[in-house]
Amino acid sequence: MRVVIAEDLALLRDGLTRLLRDNGIEVIAAVRDGDSLIREVVEHEPDLAVVDIRLPPEFRDEGLRAALEVRKRVPGTAILVVSQYVEETYAGELLAGGAEGVGYLLKDRIMHVADFLEAVHRVADGGTALDPDVVAQLFRARREDAPLARLTPREREVLALMAEGRSNAGIAEQLVLTVGAVEKHVQSIMSKLELPPATNDHRRVLAVLAYLRQDV
Amino acid sequence: MGSTLRRLTAPVTYRRLGFVLSAFVLGHVWFVVLVVGWSVCASVLVTPLVIPALLGLGAVVRWCGRIEAALARGLLEVRVEGPSFPRWGRGFWRYMGAMLSGPFWRTQAYLLVRSFVGVPVATAVLALLAGSVGLIAAPAWALTSSGADVLGWHVHTLAQSLVFIPVGLLLLPASILLGALLARPFAALAPSLLAAGTPEDTATTGAVSGEGAPMSPSERRQRRRNALLTHGVASSFVLAFLIAVWALTSAGYFWPVWVLLPLALAVAIHGWFVLLGEHPAWVRRVFRSRGLAGYTGVAVAVELYLIGIWGAAGGGYFWPVWPLLLMAAAGGVWAAAMWLSRGEGELTARIDTLETTRAGAIDEQESELRRIERDLHDGAQARLVALGMSLGMAEHTLAEDPQRAGELLAEARVGAEQALKELRDLARGIHPPVLSDRGLEAAIAALVSSTPMPVTVSVSLPGRLPPVVESAAYFVVAESLANAGKYAHATRVRIHVRQSGELLELDVRDDGRGGADPEGGGLTGLRRRVEALDGRLAVSSPPGGPTTIHAELPCG
Repeated sequence: MRVVIAEDLALLRDGLTRLLRDNGIEVIAAVRDGDSLIREVVEHEPDLAVVDIRLPPEFRDEGLRAALEVRKRVPGTAILVVSQYVEETYAGELLAGGAEGVGYLLKDRIMHVADFLEAVHRVADGGTALDPDVVAQLFRARREDAPLARLTPREREVLALMAEGRSNAGIAEQLVLTVGAVEKHVQSIMSKLELPPATNDHRRVLAVLAYLRQDV
Repeated sequence: MGSTLRRLTAPVTYRRLGFVLSAFVLGHVWFVVLVVGWSVCASVLVTPLVIPALLGLGAVVRWCGRIEAALARGLLEVRVEGPSFPRWGRGFWRYMGAMLSGPFWRTQAYLLVRSFVGVPVATAVLALLAGSVGLIAAPAWALTSSGADVLGWHVHTLAQSLVFIPVGLLLLPASILLGALLARPFAALAPSLLAAGTPEDTATTGAVSGEGAPMSPSERRQRRRNALLTHGVASSFVLAFLIAVWALTSAGYFWPVWVLLPLALAVAIHGWFVLLGEHPAWVRRVFRSRGLAGYTGVAVAVELYLIGIWGAAGGGYFWPVWPLLLMAAAGGVWAAAMWLSRGEGELTARIDTLETTRAGAIDEQESELRRIERDLHDGAQARLVALGMSLGMAEHTLAEDPQRAGELLAEARVGAEQALKELRDLARGIHPPVLSDRGLEAAIAALVSSTPMPVTVSVSLPGRLPPVVESAAYFVVAESLANAGKYAHATRVRIHVRQSGELLELDVRDDGRGGADPEGGGLTGLRRRVEALDGRLAVSSPPGGPTTIHAELPCG
């Protein structure tokens, strides 16, 4: 897998580069601002761009804007946005162009190396990785939603992990369940929320996120 | 006991005592200098000679102030420069004006305090010291003379006189310590009244004459109150002592009244100015200007003082009526002049408002910084220390017990995550990133999504607002939501934000049990924040609810 990194803080840029390289991922370039990111992606067409939201010159959301630009110029480039804070608003902007190959995680998650690498691979393969904090924000926004209230606590856990973009196997591992048990929960959730049974993980994430993000 | 002994042997005690006693001589000198100086000026008032006379008085007052400043520096260890002389070379009238500006009056105020308060205090302390030495020496005069009357008791034998020695031995150190203690109010007064303070260096006087760091408005207010309290207590003390002396001696003609009157005058004037400083809005409403307010208080106090003198001198022809008429006429002219220049009055009002709101904003900012420092110290910093310790132990046990090292490393990672979470919450509390990136509406949405109760939001804004307005509006909503959840136990909150013309209006309404204290910490902080932007914050929270918080912020 070939990756480009955009992160302004040298300490984190080098750390991230080392972490990915140590785990057999090829880091083609590590740059410190959005314009360089766009240039590198256009030139090298990597599988994945790992981008910090806050980048020079304004230190606001330059990284997010660069990521969206990258997707426009080189469609198919997977984007993993990492940040010190997550906001549902930004998740919405990122997912507006589709959830395929999109990730949005707190930098904290990098510390769980195995989990983080799994998310990197998932996003690079066209999957989704949404931070649990974003999912929690989505759940809170829909606390008065009647169908959601009908879910059992276990089903809510499964739904949250689905929204994060995990596969049934991933969910089973996380909750220490069998894949069969997870499949049963998924079916029950889909029927309670009146969502069409999904043929693959991508569609499922889209359906779940569409449900969670619809206007109250 | 140990500390009393230490204080008695410390040189600083005697330096302070020396300062207090110096007023016994200097106080008289200053009084004579000022009376003579002003008499000379008054006698040449209608001639051109008044100009050199005033300049001369300005110089003399400054020299006296410098002597006092040197004394305060040397004996009280107060950092004070003494009044500075204005610079030549910017025209004669400017020089004249500078010569008769702030330091000239402040120095005179200090000199007057030294004579009117300093002399009675020094006299009292001297009397105490002399009395205690006399008591210790009692056997000497019992032997050499044929006896004496002490407090109504006829002493004529050596045995009787020996009784007084321990009393004197106790009284002497007490008088020394008391004398040294009475230097405190002067140490508090000297830096402000004897500051250099010509226009060229007013900016630096605060730092030079104060004690290093600039004081916050609330600290300054507290200090002013303390100074007044010390002043009042010291005056009552002097008076009580004199009355005791009067009662224990002949108890005939009530002479302490002559000390009571000037002391009361000084405390009254001091108190009046402290009061004016605390209520600028009231001063503006009633008097329209600080000058007139100060004048009115001083005039009333002086008139009461004169009536007191008239009464103490045995009544007779009521002469205080003349100064009363004079001062009333001057006050009337002043008030009339103020009324004629009402526009300026409005300007003064505006300045007063700005002063108050600025002070509030600075206070608010300071307490906010303290809170952040505390949070950092108790939260993330402590967590990082613990994390470092876990890492250190892991490093240490890595070779011999890899499994334990692994556990410690996992612990360290959890610690790092918690530290990050705390820092993130703290950063969001200072200024949420989404507010500057996406504006008020998105920031309120983010706030609402992390609130446990259901919230209805309606925002109608044509575009982005100035950052300070966005930030103030955001914190009004954040604080109101927090209050609704924490104290009011609300189950539902409605937020309305709309911009009408150049005004941003915010309403936060909850269905909780009400009873929010508009003077409580959080709401006061909000009010200061809003008022610093010329906005308005209204809180309605009757017991039983509902609570409505309404804020208006100009955003033109």
